[in-house]
Amino acid sequence: MNILPLKIHNLSYSVNGNNILNNINILSDEKKITIIAGNNGSGKSTLLKILHGLIEIPDNIIKWGDYSIKNVKDNQTMVFQTPILLNRTTYENLNYVANKKNITEKNYVQKIIEKLNIKDIANVNTRYISGGERQKVSIAMAIIGDPKIIFLDEPTSQLDPVYKNEIENIIKNLSDLNVKIFMTSHDVSQINRIGKEIIFLDNGNVIYQNSVTKFFNEKHCSLINNYMNYG
Amino acid sequence: MLINILETAFNLIISLNKDLFEIISLSLKVTISALIIAVSISIPIGAFLALYKNKFQSFLVLISNTLMGMPPVVLGLLIYTLVSKKGIFGFLDILYTPSAMILAQTLLIIPIVISLTYEEIYKKNKEYNLLLISLNLSNFSKLKTLIYECRYALLTVALTGFGRASAEVGAVMIVGGNINHFTRVMTTAIAFETSKGSIELAVALGLILLLISLIITIIIKSLRKIS
Repeated sequence: MNILPLKIHNLSYSVNGNNILNNINILSDEKKITIIAGNNGSGKSTLLKILHGLIEIPDNIIKWGDYSIKNVKDNQTMVFQTPILLNRTTYENLNYVANKKNITEKNYVQKIIEKLNIKDIANVNTRYISGGERQKVSIAMAIIGDPKIIFLDEPTSQLDPVYKNEIENIIKNLSDLNVKIFMTSHDVSQINRIGKEIIFLDNGNVIYQNSVTKFFNEKHCSLINNYMNYG
Repeated sequence: MLINILETAFNLIISLNKDLFEIISLSLKVTISALIIAVSISIPIGAFLALYKNKFQSFLVLISNTLMGMPPVVLGLLIYTLVSKKGIFGFLDILYTPSAMILAQTLLIIPIVISLTYEEIYKKNKEYNLLLISLNLSNFSKLKTLIYECRYALLTVALTGFGRASAEVGAVMIVGGNINHFTRVMTTAIAFETSKGSIELAVALGLILLLISLIITIIIKSLRKIS
């Protein structure tokens, strides 16, 4: 069964009368990393939350390949801009997610810890680890259960260059392992480094969707030009 | 004179005075029983209210917050009218028994534990909500996680309830009757012994109450640090 293509048909979303997304239509068959870009308030995070099911919308607006909505929910995870971790050790956080996903494999959590290279902080309460380490733990939690899709909401926006590079490598490795990645980003050089497809939003509208290569080689409107020059 | 009273009071404590420890023992039994019942009822209710937002829930929280400030004597009077011979629960025959005192203290603590549990779980839910939805958990599973995450804060809530109940005098006096060797607890004994001029026993009991209060404060402070 294929989880792609993603088809979004006439998606609108508003809060208290304010339109966040306006009649969005997207068709995406890109298997690697799709970047959702746009200025602040363009609707990027809202779109990601809707795709992940954190915001409920009527049925039949979003379709994922051959999957039903219920199956998609079990096959996708999300990494938040500010990592949300339980007040427990790194190991206990990962073990919690593994338990909730009914994973019984022995040493599963240990393998994830080794994979993400977070052995040093395995027994440290996540309150006492750095921002970069928190984001790595957050990604480790997201890959538990081998999801087919991972949504990342500006996962490196609060990190220094070293951690940013490390997280980008993790994301690229996941993509190479056939995990579909949807990621929001403000960082134009990052989009160029790891993105394969870009969906550009402005005021809740999709104003551009194409491969990242074409995005950087085509002429654009002033809004996107400014974004590229200053991002 | 004060030094003499304190000396006698200390002697009563050190010599393990039978009457004194009978009163302390009953006080602890009544308050701990009330606390266990109240916490078992109130923590799930408080957590439930924090998780399910609607108008009815807001109304219940408002009622609970209002009842937190209810004067214990008024509560005692209410229970008295309900469990006295002519009251609708008169058939239970619990007036002037430790059971009535447990009932009074339970009802006194319930709104406190509900309101404080609501606050704690509400705060934690705000913090973890996206993660818990993202994990596609059932509401029951969410509730269990939030209660576990608030465990230290909820212990503090329980201790706050214990402190309130153990220091209460009005309600237990009305429904317990302060009967010697049967329903006399620390607070009612202090009031009674003082009124008859037996200050030493009252001071000894007062010191024990202060000690309990100190222990609770220290535990609450430590738990707050942990949580």
